[in-house]
Amino acid sequence: MANSLFEEKLNSNGFLVTTEIGPPKGADVSEMVHCIDLLKDKVDAINVTDHQSSVMRFPSLGGCLLVKECGGEPIIQVTCRDRNRLALQADLLLAYSRGIKNVLCLTGDSVDVGDHKEAKPVFDLDSVQLLKMARGMESGKDMVGNELKGTPQFCLGASVHPEADFIEPQLIKFEKKVIAGAQFFQTQGIFDLESLKKFMQYASQFNIKILAGIIVLASARMAQYMNDNVPGIIISQAIIDELANVEKGKGLQKGIEIASQFIRTIREENLCHGVHIMAVGKEGIVPDILEAA
Amino acid sequence: MIVAEQKSLEEIRRIIAPYEKVLLLGCGTCVTVCGAGGEREVAFLNSALRVAQAKSDDGVHNFSEYTVKRQCDFEFLDVLVDKVNEVDTILSLGCGIGVQVVAERFPDIPILPGVNTSFMGMAKEWGVWDERCAACGDCRLAETAGICPITRCTKGILNGPCAGTKNGKCEANKDMDCAWILIYKRLERLHQLEKMRRYYPPRNFRVIPRPRRIVMKADIEQGEDNG
Amino acid sequence: MDNEVTNYQNNRMREASHGRSLIPPCQVACPLHMEIGEYVDLVAQGKVLEALQVIREGNPFPSICAYVCTHPCEDACRRSQVDKSIAIRALKRFAVEFGGDRMIELEAETVQSEKVAVVGSGPAGLACAYYLRKLGYPVAIFEAYSELGGMLRVGIPQYRLPREVVDTEVQRLIHMGVEIKTNTRVISIDLLLDMGYKAVFITVGAHQSLRMGIEGEESPGVIDGATFLREVNLGLKPSLGEEVAVVGGGNVAMDAARAAVRLGADKVSILYRRSRTEMPASPDEIEQALEEGVETMFLVAPTKMKRENGRLSVTCVRMELGEPDAGGRRRPVPIEDSEHNMEFDTLITAIGQAPQISEDFRLRLGRGSTIQVDPVTLTTNRTGIFAGGDAVTGPATVTQALASGRQAAFRINDYLRHRYPSVDKEAEETLSGELLPKTIETIRKIERLEPPLLPPEARTKEFKPVELIYNWEAAVDEARRCLRCGMGAEIMFQDKCATCLTCLRICPYHVPYLDEGGTIQIPADQCQACGICVAECPAKAIVLRKPYDRRHIDEELEHALKSAAESKSKPLIIGFCCQYGLFGTGALASLWREGKAGIWIVPVLCVAKLEGGHILRAFEMGAEGVFVAGCGERCSRENTAFWVLQRVEEVRRALSQIGLEQERLQTFNLRAADGDITEALDNFTGRIGGLCLASVMKQEVKS
Repeated sequence: MANSLFEEKLNSNGFLVTTEIGPPKGADVSEMVHCIDLLKDKVDAINVTDHQSSVMRFPSLGGCLLVKECGGEPIIQVTCRDRNRLALQADLLLAYSRGIKNVLCLTGDSVDVGDHKEAKPVFDLDSVQLLKMARGMESGKDMVGNELKGTPQFCLGASVHPEADFIEPQLIKFEKKVIAGAQFFQTQGIFDLESLKKFMQYASQFNIKILAGIIVLASARMAQYMNDNVPGIIISQAIIDELANVEKGKGLQKGIEIASQFIRTIREENLCHGVHIMAVGKEGIVPDILEAA
Repeated sequence: MIVAEQKSLEEIRRIIAPYEKVLLLGCGTCVTVCGAGGEREVAFLNSALRVAQAKSDDGVHNFSEYTVKRQCDFEFLDVLVDKVNEVDTILSLGCGIGVQVVAERFPDIPILPGVNTSFMGMAKEWGVWDERCAACGDCRLAETAGICPITRCTKGILNGPCAGTKNGKCEANKDMDCAWILIYKRLERLHQLEKMRRYYPPRNFRVIPRPRRIVMKADIEQGEDNG
Repeated sequence: MDNEVTNYQNNRMREASHGRSLIPPCQVACPLHMEIGEYVDLVAQGKVLEALQVIREGNPFPSICAYVCTHPCEDACRRSQVDKSIAIRALKRFAVEFGGDRMIELEAETVQSEKVAVVGSGPAGLACAYYLRKLGYPVAIFEAYSELGGMLRVGIPQYRLPREVVDTEVQRLIHMGVEIKTNTRVISIDLLLDMGYKAVFITVGAHQSLRMGIEGEESPGVIDGATFLREVNLGLKPSLGEEVAVVGGGNVAMDAARAAVRLGADKVSILYRRSRTEMPASPDEIEQALEEGVETMFLVAPTKMKRENGRLSVTCVRMELGEPDAGGRRRPVPIEDSEHNMEFDTLITAIGQAPQISEDFRLRLGRGSTIQVDPVTLTTNRTGIFAGGDAVTGPATVTQALASGRQAAFRINDYLRHRYPSVDKEAEETLSGELLPKTIETIRKIERLEPPLLPPEARTKEFKPVELIYNWEAAVDEARRCLRCGMGAEIMFQDKCATCLTCLRICPYHVPYLDEGGTIQIPADQCQACGICVAECPAKAIVLRKPYDRRHIDEELEHALKSAAESKSKPLIIGFCCQYGLFGTGALASLWREGKAGIWIVPVLCVAKLEGGHILRAFEMGAEGVFVAGCGERCSRENTAFWVLQRVEEVRRALSQIGLEQERLQTFNLRAADGDITEALDNFTGRIGGLCLASVMKQEVKS
């Protein structure tokens, strides 16, 4: 029996669409609420990022509560960078108690790439251990076996990187995540459908759902910057060139075009179970993309 | 080997400011090897401090220098007894251990650190040192093909690489190898990839209570005798 | 006692107290054991007077050796394993000429009463008289001919050793108070003893040519080499006719042939019974003879001669090389029925010489009519009678004769002072061992510079010296090629060594290694003495073996600082400059010559030995600016610029933390091949002047 709306959709065979929202740096959430309103009915679930790229922001848990309040379906991103196992378990209990049951378990970016470079990196757990911890709590016990009052139930997700330049160790880890309890995966940004196809040949043996990550690029410069600076992003030169060749000011339009084309192909050719659209800082364009797709 | 880096002259001058007679105390072991506090560096620091003094008008110091074979054992410090009586402070260029052992040995004189103790590691080549061990107290090297993910992975994670690895390098520092790619390659070479497929539970941080102590000698009660 | 002698005697002790410099192979090979490494290095530094001083300490007549030494040192030189040996003899000649050896006057005081007689005035006799005078003995030289010098005068042709050189040395001896009795053939030793001489040194040479022992050897037109050269050297001009044959393959044969060319013979042929590779003459001599048109006929030997129609008909037989003899040379064997005739006007025999010792001397003789002596004490069978030189060894080199004469003087001194002979003990270690291939590979190949020679066509007309002298620059560059064998680095303080492997990692020649016990070894026979590891050793455990190398920068720096303090010119700038580059070699040399007010140069023996502490010391003592100038690509060692720049960066970091401008420390010409640094230096001094002014103004504002 599904315990969240999103899990229910996962179990159906429909084409899934999720997206994500980056919370603001500050206490003013009005813009975020606007975004949520814009997106909540167009997608199956909304991720709220957890200090994405290690830049300190409004928390993921807080963002998910807002999604919930606005009537959307949230997926909470939980990383191991800032909290030890006590804090992680506590946050999951809080999330569950407020109806936030979809959890994307991530290791988290290195502190060095963010804005608080001198912070202590915690990484008490890694993503696999985090998945296992969350699954473990569903048995009514905490990590060390003490009884919990009230047993949470989660729909657990994780990430995978089908375009990693050295794929074998990533696949080993992917499999460990599956065994640890991941039900769905959001991939890192996909820029080459061939690699997605190849990955799906391997991943289809597992009873999990794969959502292809779609990153909307606004310009060649942005693409290059992400290539150089954002962990886990590998954008092919062909795409960068395509973006570079459009007139000035038409970059975003081209980016939307490319993203919609990807989504259309994935859906038409049934390459995987859905897409996860990442429109970094421009969440407002997601409906346009879906429209175009 | 312990690797350290000499503190900046500015910081050293600031901390020695209140004292007139300063003994610059080198250590002939690890910090000699890593070029932070051996006899050469002590002599250089002495020269540099003298220049600083000659070129500015703040504070008059009287510097002396000495290098012991090791600062981290009391016995090596016995030669300093007379010298200590003649100075107002000791600037130790030993590692953090050395500084504290000197302080413990000479309770009546202020001891100042001249270096920042950085890590335990090895010389990659002349002038380049790399960290290799985090002293986690729970060695996993048997499972990771002799490459320590706790030290060499910026996140110290145990179940494989994160998605940030690119070109075999780390997301935190593009010049640094991704430990997990190294581990994968070496396990593959040793036909031991099953070790990577295994699930490793969260680390046990209880093995490193602070401060740590290791007792190697057997606890033999007085009066008891095997003969 | 005179300095020079004590110096010689103390040399070994002094060395022993250095303790750590090892005796290099060149010094071992030298019969006089001269400190070759030392004077070659001094030439490289442009310190030609000091070089001459070192040379004079080890050699009584350096000007003579500078011309005629057969330089066994060069054969032993380890640079020949890399490319070619150092031109040691030519460098000595440079030092002798440029150092003004002929101007040096020596005095000697008589402090002993025992008179000593030296019989024979060849190099051994002269050397013996020289040292005996220095030891304070009254000495008389007895010489059968009208002039002193023995073989130096009657054996060696003028084009190899100008007579003035011998004359100068003889005059010096006379000035020192040696009594000269020329035209005096000693016929009885007893007579000398009766005359009151307490010791006698017999050194009558080996002037008797060996006979070929063939029919017709007495014919007119046949002359023996020794006699021929004597006549030539005494200024006679023997008439030779047009075609001359010289029989033999040694140096005397070469001398005779080349003299014959100079006397106007149209065609001079050398007949030698072996082949060129077996010729005992020195290769340079053979080469120069060929250049002058001397022809050679190998594997041929005369069997009889006959005077016919005013010419010599010489019957020769062809030879082939058979089994090696006891000396390792292949024995020539006549080929049957190979006899043939050749015609010459004159035939000079030069197949060897032997001493001719009067029976009345009552000395025990040995093989080849040589005088038998104890090799250590040079004593003969008669008490108080010593012997040396060719008369003991058979024909040998001038340098060997000098060594023998010196040895005799010291042994005679021991004898007269009733002392147990204080034999030179080889107390110090010598450097042995070949360079390893990996060391050779890393040593920069630098072509050997030969001194210029008189062109062959100019030589054959007269008896002028064939070899000219280096110019200053060439001498310095040639001397810089020296590998400084035995002066390398060693781990002086093993207890300090942290086995950090710095030396092993940074040595440009990959010399240090880790032995099986985990101890660092720096093999002396591979070290190139560049000094990089000494400056970099974090434990300060490594030193250069030569004490001077360890302290010279400190001494020079303190000297410069003291002079600067006295002069008070501002701004004070200290320049650490390579001493090797300060003379003759372009950019740095101009720097030295055009020294400017306020700039004090601290000469260092290669800037690679400069440490950060030296630079900081200059700043501490008031320098407003410091520069380091090296020889760029002319440096004979590897990686010098890299290491100097490392240390300069280290000091600059410290300077900036102190609040001093980094531009106060500058390097010049560390990498460049050449070029004028005057302009760059002017800019630098200008900037420093500005900084100096600014800080003065700041001070005033403050106060």
